[in-house]
Amino acid sequence: MDSKGQIVIDRVNHTYRPPRGRAVLALSDISLEIRPREFLALLGPSGCGKSTLLYLVGGFLPIEGGRILVEGKPVAAPGPDRGIVFQHFALFPWKTVRANILYGLERQGLPKPDREKRAQAFIDMVGLRGFEDSYPSQLSGGMKQRTAIARTLAIDPSILLMDEPFGALDAQTRSIMQTELLKIWQRSPKTVIFVTHDVQEAVYLSERVAVMSARPGRIKAIVETKFPERNPGILRTKEFVEKVDELWNLVHDEAVKAQETTAP
Amino acid sequence: MIAESVTKTVVRYLPIVILAIAWEVIARMNLVDSLALPPLSKVAVAWADLMRDGELVDNGASSLYRGGVGLLLAIAIGGGLGIAMARSRILDMFINPLVELFYPLPKSALIPVTVLWLGFGDASKILLIFLGCMIPVTIGAYNGARGSDHALIWSARGMGAGSMRMIFDVVLPSALPEILNGVRTALALAFILLVSSELIVSQKGFGYLIGYLGSTGSYEGMYAVVLTVAFLGFGADRIYQLLMQRLLRWRE
Amino acid sequence: MAGVEQQASLAEAETRISQDALRRFDDIFRRGAGLVSILAVLVAWEYFARSGKVTPFMLPAFSVVAQRIYIDAVHGDLWLNLGLTMYRALTGFVIAAIGGVVLGALMSRSKILRWFFDPLISVGFPMPKIAFLPIIILWLGLYDISKISMVVFDAIFPVVTATLAGIASVEKELLWSGRSMGAGEREMMWQIVLPAALPQIMTGLQVALPIALIVAIIAEMAMGGYGLGGAMMTASRYANSPGVFAGIVEIAVVGYILIKAMALVRRRLLVWHAEAADH
Repeated sequence: MDSKGQIVIDRVNHTYRPPRGRAVLALSDISLEIRPREFLALLGPSGCGKSTLLYLVGGFLPIEGGRILVEGKPVAAPGPDRGIVFQHFALFPWKTVRANILYGLERQGLPKPDREKRAQAFIDMVGLRGFEDSYPSQLSGGMKQRTAIARTLAIDPSILLMDEPFGALDAQTRSIMQTELLKIWQRSPKTVIFVTHDVQEAVYLSERVAVMSARPGRIKAIVETKFPERNPGILRTKEFVEKVDELWNLVHDEAVKAQETTAP
Repeated sequence: MIAESVTKTVVRYLPIVILAIAWEVIARMNLVDSLALPPLSKVAVAWADLMRDGELVDNGASSLYRGGVGLLLAIAIGGGLGIAMARSRILDMFINPLVELFYPLPKSALIPVTVLWLGFGDASKILLIFLGCMIPVTIGAYNGARGSDHALIWSARGMGAGSMRMIFDVVLPSALPEILNGVRTALALAFILLVSSELIVSQKGFGYLIGYLGSTGSYEGMYAVVLTVAFLGFGADRIYQLLMQRLLRWRE
Repeated sequence: MAGVEQQASLAEAETRISQDALRRFDDIFRRGAGLVSILAVLVAWEYFARSGKVTPFMLPAFSVVAQRIYIDAVHGDLWLNLGLTMYRALTGFVIAAIGGVVLGALMSRSKILRWFFDPLISVGFPMPKIAFLPIIILWLGLYDISKISMVVFDAIFPVVTATLAGIASVEKELLWSGRSMGAGEREMMWQIVLPAALPQIMTGLQVALPIALIVAIIAEMAMGGYGLGGAMMTASRYANSPGVFAGIVEIAVVGYILIKAMALVRRRLLVWHAEAADH
């Protein structure tokens, strides 16, 4: 089995050091192995450190305790092998949709005609044809997130890191985007780490869910969420609802705990 | 804890000390024409001399008197005008175009005209600073008073507060941040107008003293007065900031 | 499913278009009202001057002043003076703009530079820097270079401050996105950081330009000679009242044009900015 997109997280700790105030242990002894092309959800209450773990894999935060290996090599810095999608889109507001998507391709040094063709392909894929020359400030939330996803996918990362990507969207747009993401992933599978606090979203999208405890974050449980098919139809099946229940109970205790601890 | 914050302040302002040392060294080593850049130590001596023989204090008092009177007039009248404009539609209609017209005007353009009217003495400077500084204060007071919470005003009126009372109890406090910011701008502007007009044409004051010392070749003294004025301007702003914080905290 | 999305965004676009139209109409209305009030002021000026309540020396009639401006424009030195003042102010402004942005950018990347310049900036900002004019003249003489240096000294502060603030406020997700797409240090600065900071940098420039004009004029008044400031001072010394008032009007017009020009540049450069329409 090839190791493209394989992630090994080995006994990772992380301490959050604010400029003012005391240091706080955000992650404690996290170990997790993610198989190539696996869709894994990181589920947990607010503040449990799931985004922090994502940023560590992405190389945006320095790894102080433990190690993280991507395809056998330790993570040292951000790179195009790990694409990231943020909750608030992080689009370059001074660039059009097309220019945003082209950016990564330009960094990769692709020749112009190839870039343009590839960018257009991804614009079409996320359904934004006709809006190539719009600026982000002219787009709705869902369209911005499509642009962000297209931008990240265009550089063909083997790993996709998604930080509550649909959290800023309204409920209808969110469910539309979830199914769109599934289709995209099914067409060209990549390793995905999907951070969310929405249990149903986690069960719907991923094959495995890693439940994290309240701060300091630990992996409380890992639950398989395999279904014979994945489409909007399964949302009401008995198996699905039972799975959501099971995970909801796991998360609920942690969420209560998270509420009880006062902020540092 | 105190030691920590003292150290922090020292580290923060260390570059200025370094510059001062560098100045002294460069001047003494004659790397630059010693006339154009006298050593800092000599400037300090000249400063002491000027203090001792009263020149600095005399001229300083004159400048501060003009600046102070002009600024106070600007604050009182400009502030009152701004608040009045915010409360009276008619006044607003008439005066607003004037304010908008004079807002983008470089206030230094008023220097020659005040000299034309009132000559070289105190009166022209006071008028200059009054006219120039009135604009930022008026605008600040206007914006601040306009933003006055209607709910506050109505409940005060409901409790029987008359117009004057209301202005002092309700409008003024809520307009305070904007007014204070307008005054801060006016303060800086007052210094600029004061120094400029005295440099250009004057018989007394900081600017005059600088010019006089320059023309007689007493460059150490000239540097001393320049630095005095510059740091006075800086100090005035800092003190004002502290005052602002105090006043604003009070109303919280 | 994409269709629903597109419908929603089309509706949004339509609303935005009609809002734009309303805003434009509002703009025209406001501009019209502005013109009316200027005219009102001029009429009041003329009336008050002619009323006999003040001497023609104290307040020459607008018509007299306008005539003076006309004569200067056609037979006199108006264009020479205007050109000189603009040259000094704008040269100083451009140097301050470039220098300020560069310094701000360097300071944002280097702790040492930041440490060194921070107190200089915070102490220097509220100082009446015009007080240093005699020192500059001592070093550089009575030439344009002194006036321009004075302008740079004054105008650079708001630019540096704005650049620092703008760079500091760039969201880290933008930076991380750039990193993750393979941007190197230099590319980050030019392609991501500075464009993201541009709105705030523009504001700094918009503050710096009027400062440049004011300082250029003061320097001219102090040093004499040609230029709008110098001409005004000369008129004042010769008790040429219409000349002084002509200068005020000329400077006011120049100031107004410069501010409007900057606003236009801002709108062009920041067409993508969500709030650009309100500037």
